[in-house]
Amino acid sequence: MQPMLPEWMKTSEEYVPPGDGGAFYYRTLRSLGGIMSRLRVESGREGRCSLPAWLKLLVLILYILLMSLARDRLCIMGLAAAGLMVLAMMPAKDIWSVLRPALLAGGLAAVLFAPAVIMDPGRLSNSLMVVVKVIMSVTAVGIFNRRTQWNHVTAALRRFRVPGVVIFLIDITFRFIVLLGNLMTEMLTALQLRSVGRNRKKYDSVGGIMGTVFLRGSEMNREMYEAMQCRGFTDDYKGL
Amino acid sequence: MKIIELKDIYFEYDREEGPVLRDFSLEEEAGEAVILRGGNGSGKTTLLRILNGLSFPQKGSYAFKGEKIDRDHLADNGRAKRFHKSVGYLFQNPDTMLFNSSVYDEIAFGPRQMGLRDEEADRRVEDLLSLFELRDIRDRVPYHLSGGQKKLVALASVVALDPEVLTLDEPFADLEKKRAAWLLDFLKELKASGRTLMIASHRDDLAGELNGREIEMRSL
Repeated sequence: MQPMLPEWMKTSEEYVPPGDGGAFYYRTLRSLGGIMSRLRVESGREGRCSLPAWLKLLVLILYILLMSLARDRLCIMGLAAAGLMVLAMMPAKDIWSVLRPALLAGGLAAVLFAPAVIMDPGRLSNSLMVVVKVIMSVTAVGIFNRRTQWNHVTAALRRFRVPGVVIFLIDITFRFIVLLGNLMTEMLTALQLRSVGRNRKKYDSVGGIMGTVFLRGSEMNREMYEAMQCRGFTDDYKGL
Repeated sequence: MKIIELKDIYFEYDREEGPVLRDFSLEEEAGEAVILRGGNGSGKTTLLRILNGLSFPQKGSYAFKGEKIDRDHLADNGRAKRFHKSVGYLFQNPDTMLFNSSVYDEIAFGPRQMGLRDEEADRRVEDLLSLFELRDIRDRVPYHLSGGQKKLVALASVVALDPEVLTLDEPFADLEKKRAAWLLDFLKELKASGRTLMIASHRDDLAGELNGREIEMRSL
């Protein structure tokens, strides 16, 4: 049957959008989706003379442990200097991408410590040490992430006798978080395009998006597991 | 009247990957249909995103009805809403457009925000449910529909805003033959009503059927 346009589509309308807040709300959620979609685990690149991944993982764990347990200022500074030296050997664009989250984490720690320091200025020195520990620990993770291919990380975990199912969960989580972040960003974009007036049910809309992302995540998980079973997966995950 | 004017557009997502669009210019009159054709990665979706103010070119300019559309212009909430009301966008993947709990609510999402009286908004939704032959599924959750049904619900929810320009990314994908034929007739009706169409599609016959202009896009 030939489609017939309804009357309201045959006349032109002058549209003046009613005022509405909520731009900040959507922007924040889109930023969150953007961060999720940037968590690409495949971004690590290894040089020709790179250390084996298991050794790097071991050094990383030791570094974070030492940094957390160290109480002596000289020891903390020494560890920080070692970390910064490794960072300085990386390409400039990688340095910024490693430092940015580390500085953000350090900033957050500083904000959390601020009330304690205001109440008792004598705690300033200790608080600064904790902030340095946070910055350097996140930096170390960033360097490891930038310098190690993801499939080598899973192989290293395997070497440390981490159960296959745990590696599988970590692997799938990191892979899907990017896809789900993309989906969430796209859905919020679509929502914004159709938000041409006053949305009285913002929370319903955002709740609908979150629900859909959750459903899609669960569906993708099931589909992938079934696809893996069809290709002979026997619950023994060796990584890729 | 020129409704869309793109001039010397240069766009790249990543400096290492190079440009997706370079020196791309296009003018479209109101009521015209332009069909974008080309392989994967040729920049069709990117162009539609630029037309909808979702991406902004690094060089060149985009004007909609004579108004320059850029980040600053759309920073004003009121202007952005008026612009998005005028230009409708059907995403290639309809899953990203559907977030309501029923087909009815999905289509009603736009009209309910536009300040229309409740009965007027309801009438729009009822009209579109009939027009798109979606009455049988009006209470179903969009997420659980078939690919073709999702596409139609997504399109109906865009049409509910009564936009002047419709930018459609692969609207015929996922549609069975009968539905695809219906959609073609619907697009002809839209064009006859004076609406401007910009369609990315792999169909060879679309430009001829809609009496429109075809633009072949190539990967750079």
